[in-house]
Amino acid sequence: MTWTCEQTEARLSDYLDGVMTSEERGAFDAHVNTCERCAPMVASVSHLLLSMHAMEQIEPPPRLVYAILDQTLGPRETLTGWRAVLAWVRGIGSVRFAYGALSMVATLAIFVTAAGFNWRKPRLADLRPDVIYRNADRSAHLVYGKGMKFVNDLRVVNEIQSRLRQDSEIPTSNESTVPQSSPDKQPGRTEGTPSGPKQQNRANDVMRRLEVLAEEMPFVAAPWIAGAEAGSRRMP
Amino acid sequence: MEQDAQLVQQCLQGDGSAWEELVRRHSRRIFNICYRFTGNGAEAEDLSQEVFLRVYRTVGSYRSAHGGFATWVTSVTRNLLIDHYRRTKRDRQTDSLDDAMPVVENKESAGRRPDEQVLLGELSSQVQTALKKLSPELREAVILRDLQQLEYVEIQHVLAVPEGTVKSRINRGRIELARILQQMGVRPS
Repeated sequence: MTWTCEQTEARLSDYLDGVMTSEERGAFDAHVNTCERCAPMVASVSHLLLSMHAMEQIEPPPRLVYAILDQTLGPRETLTGWRAVLAWVRGIGSVRFAYGALSMVATLAIFVTAAGFNWRKPRLADLRPDVIYRNADRSAHLVYGKGMKFVNDLRVVNEIQSRLRQDSEIPTSNESTVPQSSPDKQPGRTEGTPSGPKQQNRANDVMRRLEVLAEEMPFVAAPWIAGAEAGSRRMP
Repeated sequence: MEQDAQLVQQCLQGDGSAWEELVRRHSRRIFNICYRFTGNGAEAEDLSQEVFLRVYRTVGSYRSAHGGFATWVTSVTRNLLIDHYRRTKRDRQTDSLDDAMPVVENKESAGRRPDEQVLLGELSSQVQTALKKLSPELREAVILRDLQQLEYVEIQHVLAVPEGTVKSRINRGRIELARILQQMGVRPS
């Protein structure tokens, strides 16, 4: 397909808008790559398009909308004297204002409480910036400490639970798991599972941990201790 | 678009707040078209007011079946701009371009570095100056297509000319504008 300079100029927008066929596009490119007249034109127009697409909308002056509304709907009524006061009071009574005020008061109360202000015994000294800072710092550290303690407690409980689960999975008695006359009995092997020392150690370990937990959190550990003791009583 | 048609209906029933909403929705776009066409902030403001005054008076003649409200308002704007161009042709011949009062462009868009913003601002004012040197037919076509991102069909409705004419004007407008910018010493980077 042969392509001329006139065609390049006439179809430039089609090329830039991407609405040419692949054959036309190929011929266009081939011509522009070799034509000294068309190459700078294509480059400058595509640069112009990029620039124009990057240009942003201009913000009209804010008075424009009001000027249009004044011209079309007529000037807005400006209230004076007691009417203005009445309109103001009516504005305060609106639901939106009430919600706004309520949320502001709640936010303020939260901040003041966090800053260590005692509502039951309000003191002027509590409102001093250094006292507010100290109280807020103390509250933040307390909250952090409590949080850390809670996380550690959870970790201990989780560990104990997993240990107990492990123990319950290990067979506790010889009779229950291994038959008396095992067909797989082989010479030179002691019969049955090895007894007590290892299991006993584990049980003792768990009991020790439970005792520690009971000291820290009696309400959490008590049922397990009772259960574990009952279990140990049942053990041969 | 449907919301516009609904607002127009409410407007025709005498709802002032619906009219206010329509003004708020379209005033920025109309102001931008006027500013790009005239290159003068004060003129663009006056023309935008005139556009909405005319729209307010003739909104009863708008039919949603014939196209969107935005296209209709744009065609009202275009007619007013051409009237304004003809009216001020003699004044313009005696005025210099330097008298134009430029508007501070909103370049504080997020994600652009300050140096990019400066470059864009400079380029934008150069394009604006070049636009004023373009004939009104080509200028309006380029503004609607490349600055307002209207589709060819919408431009066809606004200018009330066949599609071929729209395409030809946009193409010639772009080439001519690039040529003017080259003459102004702006080279593609």
